[in-house]
Amino acid sequence: MAGLSPSERRLQKELMSLMKEPPPGVVVDVDLAEQNILQWIIQMEGVSGTLYEGEQFQLQFKFSRKYPFDSPEVTFIGANIPVHPHVYSNGHICLSILTDDWSPALSVQSVCLSIVSMLSSCKEKKRPPDNAFYVKTCNKNPKKTKWWYHDDSV
Amino acid sequence: MKMADKSESSTNSDTPTNQDELILAQQRKIQQEISDTIPLVGPLDQISSLESEYSTDTIYLAKIKDLSSKYKSIRRTRPDGNCFFRAFGYAYIEKLLDDKEQFSLFYDLVEKSKNSLVALGFPQFTVEDFYDTFMEVLKRINDIDDASDAKKELHNLFNEQGYSDYMVVYLRLLTSGQLQKEQIFYSFFIDGERTVADFCHQEVEPMYKESDHIHIMGACSVLLTGVRVVYMDRGGNTSVTEHNIPQDRLTPDVYLLYRPGHYDILYL
Repeated sequence: MAGLSPSERRLQKELMSLMKEPPPGVVVDVDLAEQNILQWIIQMEGVSGTLYEGEQFQLQFKFSRKYPFDSPEVTFIGANIPVHPHVYSNGHICLSILTDDWSPALSVQSVCLSIVSMLSSCKEKKRPPDNAFYVKTCNKNPKKTKWWYHDDSV
Repeated sequence: MKMADKSESSTNSDTPTNQDELILAQQRKIQQEISDTIPLVGPLDQISSLESEYSTDTIYLAKIKDLSSKYKSIRRTRPDGNCFFRAFGYAYIEKLLDDKEQFSLFYDLVEKSKNSLVALGFPQFTVEDFYDTFMEVLKRINDIDDASDAKKELHNLFNEQGYSDYMVVYLRLLTSGQLQKEQIFYSFFIDGERTVADFCHQEVEPMYKESDHIHIMGACSVLLTGVRVVYMDRGGNTSVTEHNIPQDRLTPDVYLLYRPGHYDILYL
């Protein structure tokens, strides 16, 4: 894979691995990712036995040239944004590994697993308490929000 | 994993001006200024070069005098939160280049480390990238016969972000692995209710997180080496304080100057 930048090389590797061994209920749109390796769409199924059973979600991953040193920008997109205390109605997700606790040893796959687990452990479907205000004032890029992480239980 | 609610900073603002963006833009500007002006690892300087940073501070000036009676020179590192790992990695490998036998023991140790990390549950797939780069650097400098040429190459590679940051990540992963392997022991050094694994995910593995005593213990332990940390702060007396890590190792391989929030390399 000569001629690729380190971030592109790493993303190619991740794409191959996600195609071959995807976590259950997770499917990456390979054609789109191959057209533009810096922007992926991933389909995610609600896990059976959880509040999201039978639902389909779409996640968008955007990568910078500094990936994996910079975290990916991850948002829910499309018609069905999961109703969850850490997911805003514009698709922004409050999850510490997407900003403060990101490490270059994490991957698209580990982000997907964290999001699946965040959804699966939810006990009540509701939006974050400050949803209306946040959605009105936030930047389009969730990484430009200074998140305040304090709740481990949901 | 932690999850949460939104920052209060934007909920408190009366207008839709986005405070978060202003704060983050300011942080980026400061980081940019630092990376424009300070190399990842600098040249050798005399200890007295520290004086210009503290021209009117009599406590620090007295301590610099004490420091220069014990150490010959200093090598500054960029204050980007990775300074301990960068300084430690650089200084230890530089020292090993004076002793081919020690270097090859270190080489073998690192060569075997990937499998230990994978056995501890680190994903092979991401660990590999950082391991491969670390090994590539060791090979490249090992192939140079003349020690001073090898040191020049080490200096160049540690100043190339593409190599330097990969080295830092791998050292962070090795340290995290060690803390988790000996988690009962290290849990006594962690405040609050965090587990050793949580601590590693939040404070050791991510880039730019500053290092503490526990990081140094883990790094020394996994690479079978010792560090002497020389503390210089505004506290009471006129001499600097020295600590060996691990405590019972009296002849360290690496000497680091610690000023609150930052590590540089010292030379005898």
